[in-house]
Amino acid sequence: MTFAKAARFLLAFAALLAVVWSFVHVGQRTYKQWDRDRKDTRTVLTILHWGDNAEVEIVDKLVKAFEADNPDIRINRVHASDYDAKLNTLFAAGDPPDLFYLKFDMLPKLAGMGLLTPLDERVEADRLAGDPWIDSFYPVVLDAFQFDGKEIGKGPLYGVAKDFTTMLFYVNVDLFNRAGVAVPYDGWTWSEFEDAARKITALEDPNGQVYGAVLATWPDVLRHIVWAFGGDYFNGADFHDVQLDSPGTIASLEAIRTLRFEDNTVYNATTGDAQGLGEQEFFTGRIGMVGPIGRWRTPRFRSIDDFKWDVVPSPTTPGVDPVSAIATVAWSMSSTTEHPDEAYRLLKFLCGPVGQKLTAESGLAIPCIREVAESDAFLRPDLAPANARLFLDLIDAARLGQMPEEAEFARIMQEEVEKSIRLNQQDPAEAARRVEDRWLTELDAPLRNDTFPIMPWGWVGGVTAGVLCTAVALLFFWLRREKLGAIDRSQERAGWIFISPWLIGFVVLTFGPMLVSLLLSLSKWTSMQPLSGAEFVGLSNFEHLFQSDASFLKSLWVTFYYAALAVPILQIAALLVAVLMNQAVKGITVFRTIFFVPSVVSGVALATLWIMIFDGEKGILNRILDATIGLISIPSPDWFGVDAEIFAIPAFVIMALWGVGAGMVIYLAGLKGIPKSLYEAARIDGAGRIRQFLTITIPMLSPLIFFNLVMGVIGSFQIFTQVYVMTSGGPGNATLVYVLKLYREAFEYHKMGYASAMAWVLFVVLLAMTLLVVRSSKKWVHYEGLK
Amino acid sequence: MTNAPVQAEAAALPALGNEPRRKPKDPATYLTYALLIFGALLLLVPFYWMLTNSLKTEADASKIPPSLLPEQLLWSNYPDALAKMDFLNALANTTVITTLSVLGQVISSSLVGFGFARFRFRGRNFLFLLMLSTMMLPPQVSMIPLFIGFRNLGMIDTIWPLVLPMWLGTPFYVFMFRQFFSQVPEELVEAARIDGASNLMIYSRLMLPLSTPVIAIVAIYTFMFTWNDFLGPLIYLNTPEMRTLALALNAFSGQYGVSDVQLLMAASFVTMLPCILLFFAAQRYFVDTGASSGLKG
Repeated sequence: MTFAKAARFLLAFAALLAVVWSFVHVGQRTYKQWDRDRKDTRTVLTILHWGDNAEVEIVDKLVKAFEADNPDIRINRVHASDYDAKLNTLFAAGDPPDLFYLKFDMLPKLAGMGLLTPLDERVEADRLAGDPWIDSFYPVVLDAFQFDGKEIGKGPLYGVAKDFTTMLFYVNVDLFNRAGVAVPYDGWTWSEFEDAARKITALEDPNGQVYGAVLATWPDVLRHIVWAFGGDYFNGADFHDVQLDSPGTIASLEAIRTLRFEDNTVYNATTGDAQGLGEQEFFTGRIGMVGPIGRWRTPRFRSIDDFKWDVVPSPTTPGVDPVSAIATVAWSMSSTTEHPDEAYRLLKFLCGPVGQKLTAESGLAIPCIREVAESDAFLRPDLAPANARLFLDLIDAARLGQMPEEAEFARIMQEEVEKSIRLNQQDPAEAARRVEDRWLTELDAPLRNDTFPIMPWGWVGGVTAGVLCTAVALLFFWLRREKLGAIDRSQERAGWIFISPWLIGFVVLTFGPMLVSLLLSLSKWTSMQPLSGAEFVGLSNFEHLFQSDASFLKSLWVTFYYAALAVPILQIAALLVAVLMNQAVKGITVFRTIFFVPSVVSGVALATLWIMIFDGEKGILNRILDATIGLISIPSPDWFGVDAEIFAIPAFVIMALWGVGAGMVIYLAGLKGIPKSLYEAARIDGAGRIRQFLTITIPMLSPLIFFNLVMGVIGSFQIFTQVYVMTSGGPGNATLVYVLKLYREAFEYHKMGYASAMAWVLFVVLLAMTLLVVRSSKKWVHYEGLK
Repeated sequence: MTNAPVQAEAAALPALGNEPRRKPKDPATYLTYALLIFGALLLLVPFYWMLTNSLKTEADASKIPPSLLPEQLLWSNYPDALAKMDFLNALANTTVITTLSVLGQVISSSLVGFGFARFRFRGRNFLFLLMLSTMMLPPQVSMIPLFIGFRNLGMIDTIWPLVLPMWLGTPFYVFMFRQFFSQVPEELVEAARIDGASNLMIYSRLMLPLSTPVIAIVAIYTFMFTWNDFLGPLIYLNTPEMRTLALALNAFSGQYGVSDVQLLMAASFVTMLPCILLFFAAQRYFVDTGASSGLKG
């Protein structure tokens, strides 16, 4: 076919052009960078921040203005969307930015590890020099970045807030009016809230079901609700005294659970990402109120023109004073910065009046300087929300929550509480008990508290090197013992030279790292410190895994669940499809193509696509299911929502099943290799199709099935990307697969030793599974004429 | 990654003949067609969903229940999405990394495969078995020490941690090349040797040209793996200019939730397009099992 040929030629040509262009592009960029670094003698400061386009613009403007004023400094502005992951890896790589955004909840963790520079001395020096710039800030935002090693709000100042927000509710005024509920500008109670939600939910709407509210419930804002009921997470900064089972906390969790699952007046969104929860839905005009959230949604909601909206205070309960959580972000300086003076100058500028004014104008957050916040630049009488002053009024009621420096608490909290208020699997009291259990086990674990000797690296390294050298020397002498002819010797030399790439790779990429990883698994080491600081803990990592880490066992279970479903289902499906594809009917090549194409899609693109498909309400899968099995009144599952504990993992199996083509081609090739004479003989003996399949096809394919089983087991235990992108382990910890847990330990908590121990457990599990398959294979694998 | 070796096993299989054509009246034919069409439709639904959503307006995309067709075809989503993910830059990065990886993988794996297949040296069988057994190791075991190693070499935020390992051979591909090279008749090699060909010439002038199907399969799998690799770039690349397509795509659904689903779908489609195109261009190596016919025995 000339057309196909021409198309292929064009494609190849285009590909070639793309490759050439890419190399030129990347080469040019690299050269320019190198050239600039060479010529530019200015001090370079790297800053890391996040944010949408509006925020990028603000930071960019500030950076340019600063550079214009300070010709001796160049700023390398880095923007990251996956911010936490990025900041963590930069720290782990020992190359943190000079200045970076610090979310208030990260303060204890980073300050606790000694990664931040205290700013008090410099601020004080400014004050003495007659520049008390910091005193124009709201006191609460300064408190938010003080930390004395235990308590927030005391001790050294580790960052200066660039902006902040109080928490309140956004309401759809039109829906309130239609439901005949007065908009509660002067505050209201939770029972009034429940009542309003009920009335709004009862409204009829042509655009579909209307809900009273969406509640934001990730740990920081959940605390805002908990406070409204008089509860808290801890008793002050005593992190051993968990208060989750206090009446106030339980009442708040129970209130949320009831609203979502009994009253059905609060929409329980399915999206995997709790941060975006419900805000999208508010946009569509079918949600009465959304909260508690902060100022950050205002710019986006300003584009709403279908209905009137405003902000109101959060509901309270009798006997509890109104209180507001705050969220704030500071510019912080890393403790390893080489240019603290320049960095401080920049920090002062970024947080200064110019920046605060730009923030105010963007509408994204409350400026931290009182004067700017109370100006029209922030209040904007011409724009919604009309009640904007409320953001400032709540500052008097602002409270800072104490959080332990161990990042594990927020995770445990989220996992267990979500099971109660998002999945309705356990009642709040049970959730509270389990959080406390798991948290105290973690906090009191020997691995965390015992003192261990420093890892004797010199000694360990010496012994290892000695053993290796002896082994190599022995091998060498053993090889020399035998005299070889000239041809043999040249054969030998050529052979070793040709395999040397792999040999080098084996030593450098496999054997060496495995050895290091084995040693690390016996040590306690955070990647924030030099390797020489590692402590030797013996088998304590493994002990901790099995005795003190509930989410480790859960991750094992989740992964087994996935493997147990995925391995057999995928193999059977691939085999059956291959049999189908082996039918000699017209147009079979077209079908083979269609069946194979999905398997070329993988990674992030695959994951993002399937998020859309599985979405409980907006996804197409449930629409199809509703139209088919829905007819016999089986409700379709809410895959990553309420039914996640059971259905989330099968959802990943379904995704994998879409790529059945990959396995299919192998079995197809295998099928074509079976001699037809076997089938003819069977047919003569009167065997039907099914019998032929069972007695000829299966045994003849068994070596292939065996191979695929082994590879399938190994592959399914390593599932990561889909889960990381789609659910990041949630809701609860329903999808916390093994490698995700391992990744978190290593790159989020920086516990490299612990993560290495996990890697070795995985290795042992895989080895055991493989041996199991291999052992059983003797019974069922049929080798035809094996040489 | 797992798919790749598994698929590749196909190449090591004995080859095929043609099935006798069924008579058209056979009722089983209708059943076959029914199953084929049903399955094909099912497998095409996700593609359909991606395309429709990539052309919707934002309001349309967040409708409940979802509309099956876009109200209007909003083609501008595509340029918008590409601009948002800094597409050209990410494409260039991904292409450079992928090209270098494919080249490295084909060259190194074939060299090593040649070494194992055509030379007799002591320790060969042991090393070969050792190599095969490393296929079982989870990469997570060495992930952390490798990260530390590359960090100490100052290679964080460069492409080298992603590319260099590809130049040191991958066991499964070595295995494929070795199987193939073992089947080349010894007389051919002898004849070349008598003509004065060196080992390197035998490798480059005789073996490589013979092994096009294996090269194609190794190249394609390496391409797919590198193009879609996520964990590697996530760990090793830091600055936004260095981002690969997979990272850029993930940045869409960043920390604060997905807001522009339609843009995300458009971006996903563009990202997977090269893989699909490559498949169409090279489908005979995948589906027609052309490679296995080259691998008789």
